[in-house]
Amino acid sequence: MSDREIDLQLVERVRAGDQRAYGLLVEKYHRKLMRLLSRMVRNSDEIEDIAQETFIKAYRALPQFRGDAAFYTWLYRIAVNTAKNHLMARGRELPTVSDQAMNDEDEPDERLVAQNISTPESELLSKQVAYAVDEAVSALPEELRQAITLREIEGMSYEEIADTMACPIGTVRSRIFRAREAIAAKLRPILGTSEDRRW
Amino acid sequence: MTIKTATAPLASQAEEDALSALLDGELSQTESLRALARIHSAPAERTRFRTYSLIGDSLRGLPDTHPDFTTQVMAALKNEPTLLAPMPRRRERRPALWLAAAAVSAITWGLWQSLPDQPIPAPMAANAPRPVDVEPYLAAHQDFAQAVIAPAEMQFTQVSFVEPQR
Repeated sequence: MSDREIDLQLVERVRAGDQRAYGLLVEKYHRKLMRLLSRMVRNSDEIEDIAQETFIKAYRALPQFRGDAAFYTWLYRIAVNTAKNHLMARGRELPTVSDQAMNDEDEPDERLVAQNISTPESELLSKQVAYAVDEAVSALPEELRQAITLREIEGMSYEEIADTMACPIGTVRSRIFRAREAIAAKLRPILGTSEDRRW
Repeated sequence: MTIKTATAPLASQAEEDALSALLDGELSQTESLRALARIHSAPAERTRFRTYSLIGDSLRGLPDTHPDFTTQVMAALKNEPTLLAPMPRRRERRPALWLAAAAVSAITWGLWQSLPDQPIPAPMAANAPRPVDVEPYLAAHQDFAQAVIAPAEMQFTQVSFVEPQR
């Protein structure tokens, strides 16, 4: 089942009354969405507000989602419209980036991500997470490091990774899982173990 | 940031790495549905989902600048009415049935073609005995009923050939 089909499954669950499935979609896409918004809005609080509003609007509009487009594409359009309305309501100019860049659904050009979207606390935490992930990846055995890198950074499928690493697909699946678990183990002390976060 | 640690023991190694494969879109439909059901029922699996998502985004250079974001959104949605708008089922295609129908048609056509040529029987209406009292009626309307009462050699259509004027 492709990534898009999994999103569709999650949407179907939400539409069948399982609100927690929406939490998975929020978790999956909010960082990507915030980076998109950071190209249009400078203030970090505003970015967070617009992102929240986007997810709430999307939730309300889910009954109209037909699955013709990918969920993120649909969410992206809502985010861009929400940001435009937000800026217009405040009588502000649209972003300094071009419309073409705003309408580009690919990964944003890093040169355009000039704004600082974080608060000092969140920036510190973000750096801690990034550092822990980098350290954990560096400490991985070569075959695990290569597998997770090819998957997460290069975006290769398991079949492509199997070809590249000359091993069975089942081995790729196992290596990627072990890599994730090893990195997650390094992150847990930073992420904490509080039980009060339920969604 | 505080995220619950995935400490609950899971049923098997295969189930554990199924979530990882699910995130990569590498499971079959059946496996995916099973993994999604497990996420639905096990908080530890949702925590694992969040952690794996964070790892992927971090490796791709997406900073986690708002660690409580999902919690805040879900809290805001608590007062929203629960959605009950199931997606319409997409019409499932049944290629096997179509293939079977096509195969039966092909076989029937083949058998039909392989039959020896037989004389085509004359139309029933022409050979059927007519009651006598119908004859005057048909005779009166013979202009409109040539196919029934006229001999075959009289069945023609008048045409004229006119030289085009220059």
